[in-house]
Amino acid sequence: MNELLYNFAVWLDTHQLSTSIHESYYMYNWIESTHVLTLMLCLGMLFLIDLRMLGYAMTNVPATTIAKRLNLPMLIGFSIMVITGLTLVYAVPVRSTQSIWLRVKMVLLIAAAINAFLFHKNLTNSDGSWDADVRAPKNLRIGAILSLVFWGLIVIFGRFIAYDWFDCQYTDPGLSQFLSGCVAGQTQF
Amino acid sequence: MSSTATLGSNNRTIIAAAVVLAALAFSFLPPRLIVYDNLYGFFMWMETTWFGVIGQTWGAVFAIVEAFHLLAMALLGGAVFVSDFRLLGLVFNDIPAQDVLDKAHSVFKWALAVVLFTGIFMACGVAGKIYFLAVFWYKMLALVTGILFVFFVKRPLLKKDLNDINPWVIKLVAVSSIMVWVTVAAAGRWIGFSG
Repeated sequence: MNELLYNFAVWLDTHQLSTSIHESYYMYNWIESTHVLTLMLCLGMLFLIDLRMLGYAMTNVPATTIAKRLNLPMLIGFSIMVITGLTLVYAVPVRSTQSIWLRVKMVLLIAAAINAFLFHKNLTNSDGSWDADVRAPKNLRIGAILSLVFWGLIVIFGRFIAYDWFDCQYTDPGLSQFLSGCVAGQTQF
Repeated sequence: MSSTATLGSNNRTIIAAAVVLAALAFSFLPPRLIVYDNLYGFFMWMETTWFGVIGQTWGAVFAIVEAFHLLAMALLGGAVFVSDFRLLGLVFNDIPAQDVLDKAHSVFKWALAVVLFTGIFMACGVAGKIYFLAVFWYKMLALVTGILFVFFVKRPLLKKDLNDINPWVIKLVAVSSIMVWVTVAAAGRWIGFSG
């Protein structure tokens, strides 16, 4: 599996577009800046929804109204984050696919997606009698806490990707190389 | 005669605008170099503080604080977008604007406090680098403008009955607010690319 990923990344690396993005100071940095700036839109909205469920923000606005109205701007921000995120991986494919932090981030993204699905299911199934209450019912509060934890960790691990602590060329064979998916004898990093 | 009487009910707004304009003018005039040179010692001292030593010694701590800075910026952005989108009529049109603005402002204040605290920590860790970066000073200018704008322009203005304010002024305030805070975030990100 790791070898397959490595070969795929090496193939992506042969693309002229990948090289061009990577080598363009302004293009690469603007894509990364856009990725980070859309945190303000996507996570900003998400945090407000979660904090509203927990009774810490916008408590004078009905909880389901917050969740429904902020969904669209949140999804717009999320879409931009996905597009720019994939472009960043495409620009630096080998190092990205062998980043232990990106791998953990992907797992957390899947967990956050499952949590979001369950949260929306619980929100839709609730009778809405609690809508004006300061705090949402327990199952929604748990979903909100998990969402805050998952996304907090996603941002932390996303930030760690920039650091080369566990890059394949700087580590010895062992646990970190195993988790990073380093391939024996690989020539590209 | 008091300043309130002299400047009318918008005295805080006028003073804030004057401070921002003076800071902008000063940042492009030669006398800024005198202040800039004198600040070098202060930046060197920042690196010797606890924050500076921790930031330089433990890269992981610096990275985690960086992540919390981003998370706080995300929350701050959420508060800014929600209140400004309401002013632009994009969300929560059926909810009184003051209700949305007041609650969003409480979130904004908490987020700003975390942004400033984590920002100071990070600045101490890389003080010797950022002192020489133009983009750092642009960010500081944008940040001060943003803070003055929120507390001395936006809040005082929007505490009035919104029906008494020209709708275009409200929209202008909302767009300006979004632009200022996006500039703060973008300039902050570019600090990482520079130097």
